[in-house]
Formats: sequence, C-alpha cells, structure tokens
Amino acid sequence: MSMFGLGRPQPSSAEKIAAAEQEMDLITDMFNKLQQACMKKCIPREYREGEINKAEGVCIDRCASKFFDVQMKVSELLQAEAAAKGGAAGGGFGIGGM
Amino acid sequence: MEGLSASEQREFQSRMERKQMKEFMGMFSNLVTHCFDSCVDNFTTKSLVQRETDCVSRCVQKFMAGSERIGQRFQEQQAQMMNQSPTGR
Repeated sequence: MSMFGLGRPQPSSAEKIAAAEQEMDLITDMFNKLQQACMKKCIPREYREGEINKAEGVCIDRCASKFFDVQMKVSELLQAEAAAKGGAAGGGFGIGGM
Repeated sequence: MEGLSASEQREFQSRMERKQMKEFMGMFSNLVTHCFDSCVDNFTTKSLVQRETDCVSRCVQKFMAGSERIGQRFQEQQAQMMNQSPTGR
C-alpha cells in the first residue's frame, strides 16, 4: 500500500479491467433503459407496419433528447442535494461527466 | 479503457464478448415476450395464423429499426459528452 505523497497507488490489472467493465456496464445499461423507455412511449403495440413511420421517428428523437435532459437534470439535482447536505463530502455522482 | 495493456485488453475483450452474448439472449427473450404480448391473443388455433405471423415480423422489424435509430441518437449524445469534457474519459 502506498501512502499519501508517494504517488497514486497503482491500480492492479484486475481493478483496471473491472473499472473498464463497469464503465461498459453503465453505458449498456443506459442504452437499454433509453431504448425501453422510448420504444414504450413511441411505438404503438399494433404492428400495422414494420417500418418506423415519420411520427414515430420524430417521437424517438425527441424522446431520446428528453431522456438525456432528464438524466442531466436528475444528476444535477442529486449533486446539489448532496452538496447541500454533506458540504465537502466530495465525490458524488459522476453520471453527467462520463 | 485507454490505460489497459495488451493482455488486459484481451481479458477485457473476452469479458465483453461473454457479456454481449448475455445481452443478446436478454434482448431475444424480451423481444419474444413483447411481440407475443402484442401480436398473439387468440387461442382458437394451435399454430400462429397469418395475421399473427405478419404482426410478429413487423414487430421484430420495427424493433430493429427503432433500436438502430435510438442507437444513433445515443451515440451522438455520447460523442457530445466526450467533447464537453475533453479532460475526462
């Protein structure tokens, strides 16, 4: 274990891989959530045609954009909350800055 | 992801492949459930009737198309976020 001042402790191989994996998981998870949410809201369940029609496409684009907005907003609000509560607790959510 | 050595890259890659397989299985089973729920609700016949078969085809086709479109938006968003924080990962 390295102490303060002796440079950062070198993360082990396993740790580095785990971190990369976690990042991938986060991105995959985010994509899946986005997809579930916007398909549910924009694609009606009667399948009269196989193509995405104009209205559905526009809906998906807007839905994705709003989903990201909400993500940012929630992240901001949680950070503000944490800052107000913990003061210098530091750390916090890194969702916004991936 | 940048700071991985070649052997770490390989280990990471193989984990990702396993994960992708799992993702795919999950997607498949979700899609089956979704298209079944959406298209099949009449049990007076034993096999799918034409209408149901067509519905399932459209359901899958539409899912793929929607998935692609959402993927594009998602990538754009990711790229935009990378640009906003060039120091970040």
